[in-house]
Formats: sequence, C-alpha cells, structure tokens
Amino acid sequence: MTLDLVIQQLVNGLIVGSFYALIALGYSMVFGVIKLLNFAHGDIYMSGAFVGLIVFSFVGIWVGNGWLGVVCALLVSMLAVGLLGVVIERFAYRPMRSAPRLSILITALGASMVLNGAALALTGGRHFAFNTDLGFAGVDISAVHITYTQMVLVAASILLMAGMQAFVSRTMYGKAMRAVSIDMGASRLMGIDVDRVIALTFFMGSALAAGGGVMAGAYYGSVHFFMGFIMGLKAFTAAVIGGIGSVPGAMLGGLLLGLLEAYGSSLPFVGSEWRDVFVFGALILFLVFKPTGILGRSIVERV
Amino acid sequence: MVASFKRLACATALAGLVMTTMANAADIKIGIVAPMTGQLASEGQDMENAVKMAIDAANAKGGVNGDKIATITADDACDPQQAVTAGSKLVSEGVTAIVGGYCSGAVLPTLKIYGDAGVPFVIIGANSTKLVAANQGNAFLANSTGDMQATTAVELFKKNGYKKIAVIDEGDAYSSDLAKLTAEAFKNAGGEIAARETTTAGEQDYSAVVTKVKSSGADAVFWTAYHAGGALLTKQLRQAGFQGGIVLGDGNNSPEYLEIAGSAGEGVYLLSPPTVDLLSGAADFKAKYKAAYGRDAGAYAALSHDVGDLIVDAMARAKSADQKAIVAALKASDFKGLAGEIKFTDKNTLQTSNFHPVVAKGGKWVAAE
Repeated sequence: MTLDLVIQQLVNGLIVGSFYALIALGYSMVFGVIKLLNFAHGDIYMSGAFVGLIVFSFVGIWVGNGWLGVVCALLVSMLAVGLLGVVIERFAYRPMRSAPRLSILITALGASMVLNGAALALTGGRHFAFNTDLGFAGVDISAVHITYTQMVLVAASILLMAGMQAFVSRTMYGKAMRAVSIDMGASRLMGIDVDRVIALTFFMGSALAAGGGVMAGAYYGSVHFFMGFIMGLKAFTAAVIGGIGSVPGAMLGGLLLGLLEAYGSSLPFVGSEWRDVFVFGALILFLVFKPTGILGRSIVERV
Repeated sequence: MVASFKRLACATALAGLVMTTMANAADIKIGIVAPMTGQLASEGQDMENAVKMAIDAANAKGGVNGDKIATITADDACDPQQAVTAGSKLVSEGVTAIVGGYCSGAVLPTLKIYGDAGVPFVIIGANSTKLVAANQGNAFLANSTGDMQATTAVELFKKNGYKKIAVIDEGDAYSSDLAKLTAEAFKNAGGEIAARETTTAGEQDYSAVVTKVKSSGADAVFWTAYHAGGALLTKQLRQAGFQGGIVLGDGNNSPEYLEIAGSAGEGVYLLSPPTVDLLSGAADFKAKYKAAYGRDAGAYAALSHDVGDLIVDAMARAKSADQKAIVAALKASDFKGLAGEIKFTDKNTLQTSNFHPVVAKGGKWVAAE
C-alpha cells in the first residue's frame, strides 16, 4: 500500500465513519435508557434526508444552493425528525415498555416498515437529486484530493457528537438520562420524570440521525427511500463495536468501522465487494468474544 | 345466473384480448403482440402504432404482392400466461406473420406455439439470450441481445483510445454478466482490465471502489449496472479527482441519472438501445408519429416501425404469403432502418449490435460522434 493510498483510505474511512458514528449514537442512547434496539433508526436517518431535501429545495429559492441552504435544511430537519422520533416513542414504544423485550423489538421492526413503506409510497421509489453548489474544490496532498465539503462534514459531525457528549455528561438532563439508564425504577422514585427523559433521548438520537441523513444526502447528492437500510445495519454494528449504551463508544465504533471498511477493502487480493464481509464479520466477532464492545460496561442482569 | 354471468365475463375478457381491425377475407393478416394493458401499456401502444404506421404506408403503396395488409393486435400484458392465450388466439385467427413482444418473460412461452404453427415471428423489444435457445427457427430477434452491448462497449473504448479499463458491476446477474462479457471482449481485443470491482446495491458510499479505480491507473471506467448507483459513482469519481472517461451500460438510460449526477455527468458516455430520441435520422419519423397519433413516439417506436417495414419487405421478397417462404426471406434480410441495420445470424439474432454510444452534453443525452 502506497502512502497515497493510506491517506486516501484514511479520508474515506473518516467520512463514512462519521456518518456511522452519528447514527450509532442514537442507537446507543436509546439502548442505554430503555434497552431497545430501535430498528427504525435507519429509517429515521432516511426521513431526515428527505425532510432536509424538501427544506433545501424550498429555502434554495431565497438563499441559493450553497452552505446556507444546507445549514437551514440541517437545522429544520433535525428539529422535525427529532419530533418524529418522540412521536414514534410515544405511540409505538411507550405502551410496550413493560411488555417482554421481544414484543417491543418487533414493534421497532414494525415502526421501521411503516416509515420505509410510507417513504416508498410517497416517493414512488424514485431517487431524488440533492444538488448543492458545494463543488469539488479542495486541497491536494500528493495524489489525494480532499474537498472542503469533506473537511466541513467531518468537523460538523465531530462537533455534533462533542455537543452530545457534553450534554450527557455536564447537564442536569444528561445526568437524568444516565440515571434512567442505570435504574429506571429508582430514578422515578428520586423524582425524575422518566417519560420525559426517554422522550428527550429519542429526540436527540433522532435529531442526530436526521443530521447525518441531511449531510449524507447533500454530500452524495441523492436521496431515496431505501438509503436507511444498510446505514442502519452498519450503524448498529458500530454501536456494538464501540459498546452499545456508551456515547463515546458509539463515536469510536463508527470511526473504527469506517476505517476498517476503507483499509479492509484495499488489502491486496481483496475486492471492494468484500467490504461488507469485514463489517458484519466484525459484528459477529464482537458479539461472540466481546459483546459489551470496546467501551461498554458489562450489564449484570438482575433477577 | 351467477354462472352464466361468469361465462359472459369470460367471453368478454377473451374478446377483449383480440382487437381486430376491419379485415377482409382476402387480406393478409399480420398479428401484433404487445402489452396493451398493465404497467408497460404505453410501450405496447407505441409498438402497435409504429407497426401500423409502417403497414398503412405499405397499403397506401398498393399493399404487398397485390394484397392489402390488415393487423390484429393481441394483448400479452407482459404476462407469460396471458401471452400464451394471446399467441394461441393469433395463430387460430390464421395470421400470416406476427411481430411484437416487449417482455422476454412473456415472449418465451409463446415461441413454442408460433414454432409449432410455423408462423414467422419478428421480436421487437424482448432481447433475453434465453429466447435464442428456445427459438424453433421461425423467430427473429430485431433487437440486440444484452450480450451484444459488450461489443459496442469495446468498439467505443477503442475509438476513444482507452487502454486500461476498470469494470464495475453491482453483483446482480445482469450487470455482472455484462461486466464479464465486456472484460473478456476487451482483453481479446488487446486491452487491459485494470480493475474489476463490485458494489453493493443501495449503498451510497463508493469511496472504496473509487480509490481502487484511481490507484489502478485505469483511463476509463465502465459501469454495467443501473442509474442510481451510476450517478453516485460518477459524482464520487469526479469528486476524488478522477479525470478519465466514464462509460455506462444501458441500465443508466434514465433522466434521473443526469439529474443526480449533475455537472459531474457531463461528457459521460452511455450505451443506449435504439431509443427514438437518440437516433440521428429519426426526427422526420417522430414528427409523423406525433401527427398521426397525437403523442410523442416512445423509446421502441423507431425499432417497431423498422420491424413493420421489415415484415412487408420480407413478404415482398418471398413473393407470396407462404410462411416458409417468408421465414426464408427474413433469414436473408438485408435491411437498413431508422434504428440501424437488420441482418440476421444463423441463430436469427442481429449480426451487428444496435446499441450505440450517446454522450451527456448540457444535461442531455446526445448522439456521440
């Protein structure tokens, strides 16, 4: 592997990795507080991309198709889809909270299909162009071309994740979230409004996924109803690798997974078609040998 | 009462299958089989219109061998079962020859019916290689089979001076077959395959493939799969600073490709089937079609019109309405139509591919020089 290739794959890995990390965060936070694998999370990401595209085409009339438009789309979409997450939690998951774990898991699959099916019906399965004026300008490091868009993208996702981490570790609400994740019953007895904390968790997780969706849509230039499927699976993998339930773990898992994909598929004699084999192979290895992931703590099941 | 109603409904449905235009006993009858209902009804309507246009023109010149030609349209709905019913109906109506067929799946089970009856059958749209194997000798494929696209691709690579090609597919049967055939054909023609990659359908990030292509030193990329992935790949190749040529297989022939690829799509080549909009000599035909039918000619209208002309030409050369003579005449066809040359191989497929390269210019596909 030449140095150029190493740098190029580092760039590739960081970009996909930051998408994975943003989405893995939502998976991890929700799992942390209510021990639910929210399979609708990939579809939340997709919904975020669509809301972003709608806002982007709308505000584009006044502010053009540049950065300002993307930022508007990002903020509106994060807010709207964050609320969508709260609605899904309120109507699909809250009534199931005391039901067996399997029932709520199936509800999550149902929520995923509802979102996916609705998007298919509304868009007719078309691929929509998300055409920005961000352009391909950038800097060249020997043969590696890095666009400004790519730099901003990685920086923005790191900023979002750092904000999230600060929120969880520094604020009162963050403390409440952590408390609910450790013991829901005791938190309630201590006067924490558990329902509200859970709603907040869904809001933040969904908003991050929506942010990821808008950024991916604007970066790749296309949006379609099925885009959340593979992304959801890979973000789930990232969350497991990092340690599901752990916020820094999700970020680490996402970036590691991105790098694993990038470097794995550039090994000699290995085609790029093997990259998913690396991803899901890593998932299986972690589930078998270290199910708590890199930064996760082992959960003692109390009977 | 209910039973008789059902019978009536069945009879009506069967009658609906076959729409006979005024046919006198002395006329020669040509069957048109096409999807007149269902999702592809619009294509079927185009095929019927375009064939009729050719037949009407022949009738206006006095018909063929002194006889007027009438057409009978049967709806196969692109459904194998309905295609069998439609095909049997046409044969029992005593048609001299049949043209049409859009979906390979619907054409395949009818080949036996037409073969057993010895009816000459010119297939317009359907182009699966399976049709070649099932052919009893009376059927002719007027459209290039999918594998002939590889020939057109290699011709384009050589013309553009590409020496090292990266071939990329999406892992499904269609795109990987095309990739394999093209890679083989290009190697046989003295070219080099710099990279052979596969992407995951539904994936948005192609950076792994893009990096491989760049580091392989390929001077062009051939993408054999579909427009959604093609647009993403094009964009990401250009974003990474890839300067070489990009060539797309026929699965990318969609306006969505140009929309999504945006400015990155400029100068990209597409191997196109003989779509009426992209044929240089079809402007006159398009205008006539619009005047006659009040709608724009669809993708396969030009080829359908060619086939209408071809069957008249074959009957004229056979100098009779004898089906064996017509089959022999079709075999000896040397016909130049709007969509290209029609000459058949000993397997009744086209001798030369009718795929042709088009290039994206100013956000539109235009014929490549």
